[in-house]
Amino acid sequence: MSNILKIKQLSKSFNNGKDLVINDINLSVKKGDTIAIVGESGSGKTTLTRLISGLETPDSGTISINNTEVASEHSFIPPEKRNVGLVFQDYALFPHLTVFKNIAYGLSKSENKKTRVSEMLTLVNLTGYENRYPHQLSGGQQQRVALARALAPKPKLLLLDEPFSNLDVMLRVQLRNEIFDIIKKTGVTAIFVTHDTQDAIAIADKIIILQEGKKIQKGSIKKLYKKPKDYYVASLFSTISQLSEEDLACFGYNTKEENKKYAIRVNQFKINIPSDFNLSIKINKTVFMGDHFMHTTTLPNNTVLNFTSEDKLIDQVTIGFDTDTILSFTKKDY
Amino acid sequence: MKLLKDIYLKRDTNKWSIFTLAIVVCIAIPILTIFFKLFSGPGETWSHLVKHVLADYILNSIWLVIGCSILTLFFGVSSAWIVSRYEIPYRKFLEWMLILPLAIPSYITAYAYAGIFDYGGSLEILMKTIGISSFKLDVMNIFGLILILSLSLFPYIYVSARAIFLYQSGRLIEASKLLGATERGTFFKIVLPVARPAIVGGLILVLMEVLNDYGAAKYFGVSTFTTGIFRSWFSLGEPSTAVYLSAILLFVVFILIYLERLQRGAKSYYNSYKSNNILKKKTVTTKRQLLLLCIVSIPIVFGFIIPLSQLIYWSFLTYKDVISSSFFIIALQSLGISFLTAFFTVFTALMILYFPKWNRLKALKKVSRITILGYAIPGAVIAVGVMIPSLTLDKWFIKIVKDLWNIKIGLLINGTILVLLYAYVIRFLAVAYNPIEANQLKIGKSLSESSKLLGKGNIRTFFNIELPLLKSGVIGAFILVFVDVMKELPLTLILKPYHINTLAVKAYEYASDELIMESALPSLCIIATGIVPIIILNRLILNEK
Repeated sequence: MSNILKIKQLSKSFNNGKDLVINDINLSVKKGDTIAIVGESGSGKTTLTRLISGLETPDSGTISINNTEVASEHSFIPPEKRNVGLVFQDYALFPHLTVFKNIAYGLSKSENKKTRVSEMLTLVNLTGYENRYPHQLSGGQQQRVALARALAPKPKLLLLDEPFSNLDVMLRVQLRNEIFDIIKKTGVTAIFVTHDTQDAIAIADKIIILQEGKKIQKGSIKKLYKKPKDYYVASLFSTISQLSEEDLACFGYNTKEENKKYAIRVNQFKINIPSDFNLSIKINKTVFMGDHFMHTTTLPNNTVLNFTSEDKLIDQVTIGFDTDTILSFTKKDY
Repeated sequence: MKLLKDIYLKRDTNKWSIFTLAIVVCIAIPILTIFFKLFSGPGETWSHLVKHVLADYILNSIWLVIGCSILTLFFGVSSAWIVSRYEIPYRKFLEWMLILPLAIPSYITAYAYAGIFDYGGSLEILMKTIGISSFKLDVMNIFGLILILSLSLFPYIYVSARAIFLYQSGRLIEASKLLGATERGTFFKIVLPVARPAIVGGLILVLMEVLNDYGAAKYFGVSTFTTGIFRSWFSLGEPSTAVYLSAILLFVVFILIYLERLQRGAKSYYNSYKSNNILKKKTVTTKRQLLLLCIVSIPIVFGFIIPLSQLIYWSFLTYKDVISSSFFIIALQSLGISFLTAFFTVFTALMILYFPKWNRLKALKKVSRITILGYAIPGAVIAVGVMIPSLTLDKWFIKIVKDLWNIKIGLLINGTILVLLYAYVIRFLAVAYNPIEANQLKIGKSLSESSKLLGKGNIRTFFNIELPLLKSGVIGAFILVFVDVMKELPLTLILKPYHINTLAVKAYEYASDELIMESALPSLCIIATGIVPIIILNRLILNEK
């Protein structure tokens, strides 16, 4: 399938070049894909969506949408001519317009507004809310109107900026499933940015990890989980125990690779069952975390190690791991 | 890097960049005129002026600045703290009464007090009725002027101090008390330092008005820079000397602005309003309540009630002589000019707010902010800066028409209402800009960005989304400018067309012709229009609460 978005060597800074927010990013998104951009606050993910949508101008690099160059050092197509939809973090619904008028806002005069708005309201399950004003809607309903409004003009690309950050946990889970269904139903190419890996896992086909304005890794959830490029990417998906060569040697795993650091996910230790490498340890402390227990132990070389189990463990146990669960990184990526 | 910047210049320049630049240049013309005129040297009287009167101008201005600072700070901060912190009788009524002195232009307060303390004035009559026959107090000097300007201008400090006291002191006072501090200690160590940037902001406005004042200083016979500018231009016929005085005054104003920016610096707490942090009122004993009531009442009585009563009394005595068809024409002209100015100023303020946003050149976004400096520049200086280029333009026209067709024509631009409107717009741009900008900041930028992403251009986004939401700010700005123009004196005196008059100028003319009682009625009309925005301003504060 062809690329709907292509970004080449994109950079953007603020404060006269002092704050480099996007640093030489290359990216391509295929038509129909749902991509999540994950990063901490300040990683540049919102700036990236603003650059794609035309709300910011790049310092260098190019952005092409549907094979048309929309931004470079020489050219710039304003946001109103890009046919890109954006759902804002605060929804940005026009407070003085009804739900109908909000959704119809982006439609051209030639379109049958009534039919299209009705289609959109059915899609987001808000039929009958046409005449309400944004302040008469709940947070979740506002979110769905914002999505309907962005989808109404049939954008080539839909961007969602932290769409769930203003919602409580219960609503968040329900709404991200709904949005996943809506995006898949419409077939629109979607990019959404989030700091929450769980949101990304629930919605996206592929995830892009941003850190300090740089693209760290892109891939499917499985790839990022199994083969994280560095410690930061690995830690996004679950808690990790860092291990040195000496720590691994305590389990009988000997490695002489230079310039390497290691880690194992805390839920991947095997307890009292056969594994490639194991060690008998004494549990120092156990904390009940709701759906699992978190244990702390001290290895023979005095390193403190954390691991989890589904059942409560007492005193002396044997813990171990299989070779394929060891995550290894070069020291600079650690 | 230079190459890259050149590339951006080409990429990011659009029609809005050109419009922005055009407005910035138009508005900067008076300042640029004064700057460039400096190089053509002073007039013949300059050396005489430096030798004999410049020291007076400087000394008097320094006295005015120091005296008014002390008094307005005292009146403004004390009254703001009392109504914000203590439960006193009629508190809500007093809260907005304290803003009312702003409705009376300082020159009108000056006329009223001159009449009260004059030979055969209200005070003397009052004293005679209680048996004191030889009471005489001369207020027509610099100390009287300081007192009158302070009574008239302290609300600028009151308004800014009160907002800060109300919204920022609540939690801080609780924390300070829990740490063992007394009420007095908390006020001086916590509340006052936190409110300082806002209070100084208000003080700077006061000082701008003090330096801008012409009517009161002229009437009291105190020589200041502004009266000096008038004298050099009209009595001595030396525009170049007026330019030199204007330049000195501008320099002082810019130093004041710089000091204000400097003291505000990194103090971000100035803007960190929190609605759940409102200061709770303290109940005190009845004796203390009466004392606080007295302190708050002093500036209201002397700044509003006494001058207003005097004006009403005079109006009652003179209305038969003053009210005539020409008075109504002047009133209508005043309203018309104020309406037109308010319209054009709000329109220009909207352009200044939006064109730089729609332009993509970063440098221009910053430059555009200098256009709102006009409010800091004294009216007389703007008048000088506008009159010189308009006269030059006229001379060119006259020469061109004579050269081409051998026809003699008079002045085409100078002395027309266009020049007056242009100067007013420059002077009051900030008055319109600030409330609209405050509203715009509240709305945020995501709504207009949404609209653009939904395919609507800048103009359609402005009319469909931004203007409906900015309505209250735009109306507020319109009213504020309207009233300021009704009150304006120095700039109007210099630039008004010969056949047009305003109520402010009429009041000034009566007072100058020793017909001070007759000046009361036009003054009352100005005050009546001035009370409207004060009620609006108070509503705004209450709504924010």
